[in-house]
Amino acid sequence: MSNSNAIELHDVDKTFYTRHIFQKHEDTGRRRLYEKRAVHAVDRVNFTIERGEVFGLLGPNGAGKTTTVKMISGLVRPDAGKVFVDGLEVERKRLKVLRKIGVVLEGTRTCIWPLTPLENLSYFGNLRDVKGPILKQRARELLDFIGLKDKMNVQVRRLSRGQKQKLAVCIALITDPPVILLDEPTTGLDVQSSRAIRDKVIELTHERGKCALVTTHDMAVAQSLCDRIGIINHGALVACKPTDELLDVFSEQTFEFRVDRLPALDGLAAVPGVVGAEPCPEDDGPAFLLHLVQDEATRSAAMYDAMDWLRGAGCLLRSITRRQQTLENVFLRLTSEPRPARPDGE
Amino acid sequence: MGFFLVMKAELVRTFTIMRRYWFATLTGLIMGWGMLMVLIIGFMSGGGEMAERLAGEKATSGALGLVIGMFAFGIVGLFTQGLQGMARTGELEQVYMSPHGLVTNFLARSFVSALSAIFTSSIMLMLVAASVKGRLHADPLPTAAILFLTYVNLIGFGFMTGGLVLVFKQTGQVAVLIRLVLVGLAVVASEAVQDWPLVARGVAHALPITDAAICLKMVVVQGRGMGVFATSYFFFLLVSCGIWTSLGLTCFKIMENWSRDKGTLGAY
Ligand SMILES: Nc1ncnc2c1ncn2[C@@H]1O[C@H](COP(=O)(O)OP(=O)(O)O)[C@@H](O)[C@H]1O
Ligand SMILES: [Mg+2]
Repeated sequence: MSNSNAIELHDVDKTFYTRHIFQKHEDTGRRRLYEKRAVHAVDRVNFTIERGEVFGLLGPNGAGKTTTVKMISGLVRPDAGKVFVDGLEVERKRLKVLRKIGVVLEGTRTCIWPLTPLENLSYFGNLRDVKGPILKQRARELLDFIGLKDKMNVQVRRLSRGQKQKLAVCIALITDPPVILLDEPTTGLDVQSSRAIRDKVIELTHERGKCALVTTHDMAVAQSLCDRIGIINHGALVACKPTDELLDVFSEQTFEFRVDRLPALDGLAAVPGVVGAEPCPEDDGPAFLLHLVQDEATRSAAMYDAMDWLRGAGCLLRSITRRQQTLENVFLRLTSEPRPARPDGE
Repeated sequence: MGFFLVMKAELVRTFTIMRRYWFATLTGLIMGWGMLMVLIIGFMSGGGEMAERLAGEKATSGALGLVIGMFAFGIVGLFTQGLQGMARTGELEQVYMSPHGLVTNFLARSFVSALSAIFTSSIMLMLVAASVKGRLHADPLPTAAILFLTYVNLIGFGFMTGGLVLVFKQTGQVAVLIRLVLVGLAVVASEAVQDWPLVARGVAHALPITDAAICLKMVVVQGRGMGVFATSYFFFLLVSCGIWTSLGLTCFKIMENWSRDKGTLGAY
């Protein structure tokens, strides 16, 4: 719709149905002759990605990352909601949209095994209307940058998993598309290669104004590559913020209290403004973590109350430190919650 | 436009693989010829004394039927087992994302594989004809016309079965059965079809291979030339072409969208 965003998802929803014949139900233990089960793979997801931006989609297995990528590339049709790529609605202008995107999906079979990397690139280039001389030059450049130059005339079947993955990235980039979708691009890659891919994505987005959607499990990659991160769990987006803001928000929440002996934490958790309290054993004495609400005024009150409570319990307070969060902690916290409430909107 | 682009890419790919696996290609040809020869020798020895004179024609007719049958087997297979395999490996999604649409892609693919099938089977047929000294009539215009119609017919049928396989993955086994029936029909198809019981005759005409095989046998084996265009079998071929293509393409389009709904375009 608006032209400044390269990708827009509006309330996109997808449920898959699986059919089971004469299978035992996990909970009831009863067998049913026929049963239709629903998996809510993507639950009313909204986000936009601007040009020149790398957006990271993080989530545990089965969270709905691949389904989201497939809906943007038109491989899966959303049940509800709309997806726009470069202002074009995917459902209506699918073939036009396909000219604008380069996609790397999971799996190693996205390239043709009896052909060499160079032949693969020229096959997919031909399939997608890249003209001869440009195609040749671009193919060589891509293979060179990704470190496959010495393998360029070896059949893909003889390449390692990581090398196949690199080739898949090259194939996605062969049309020089303005929108790049990478589904777990760095799984199975060594450090150098994943760094090479990261550098390329940063060059393409920050310098050349393309936009990229990257799904990954690798927190280090996400933290160093993505400008913005959306965390998805059970199909719903539980957080969607610029990377440093996301880390900030959560680091403000958690404080580490060092004490002489561990009090009954249940009582502490009942203090208003305290989200949770948990012990965290340290080498130099007992300590616990206190998770506080995000609202600043309430949090301040909660801090005072917590300290009063500790004094009342007769604890000796040694120190209080704010927990430095890594993306991994944030991720684990957000995704360990069973079924999150609606994400607080941006 | 898109068709030719995809076709070019497919041609390059097919011939690269053929060249790379030249040994397999060659042995495939020789084995095909060997199999046909065994069959023909069976025909000739089973027929008794009087068969001697007829053997040449009957044998080439059977061989031709088998070749057309294999052609049908291959083309329909591209849409069923081929499509299923591509879905399993993820190649289908890759093809689906080329900006020409799945239909154009499969048209071009099947066209290339039909070309290479026609190329190799005419070599085999020539070898067979030379071996049994049956005469083959090379009538370019009717032969090409009938081959083309056969191809169109099979494509239509292929799109329909392919669409079904796309959504209902378990129909793959049924598809193998249908392909075998096509081969069998192509071998036995002759003008004797007219004397079959009504139901069998209906099924034979409904399947896309019977009339095509009869027409081709008329031209290539019996040497009827242009005369074939006046027969009812040619008329049936035309009609079934129209029906199967429109039915197939419609069905495929619907199934394609349904498959996107169910997410079965990708990994099974
Ligand atoms: N075609 C399908 N049919 C049925 N269920 C599916 C299909 N594709 C995905 N799912 C289910 O949807 C959920 C999300 O899958 P996916 O998007 O692949 O997760 P992720 O990529 O985040 O690991 C999973 O529970 C998966 O089992
Ligand atoms: Mg996935």
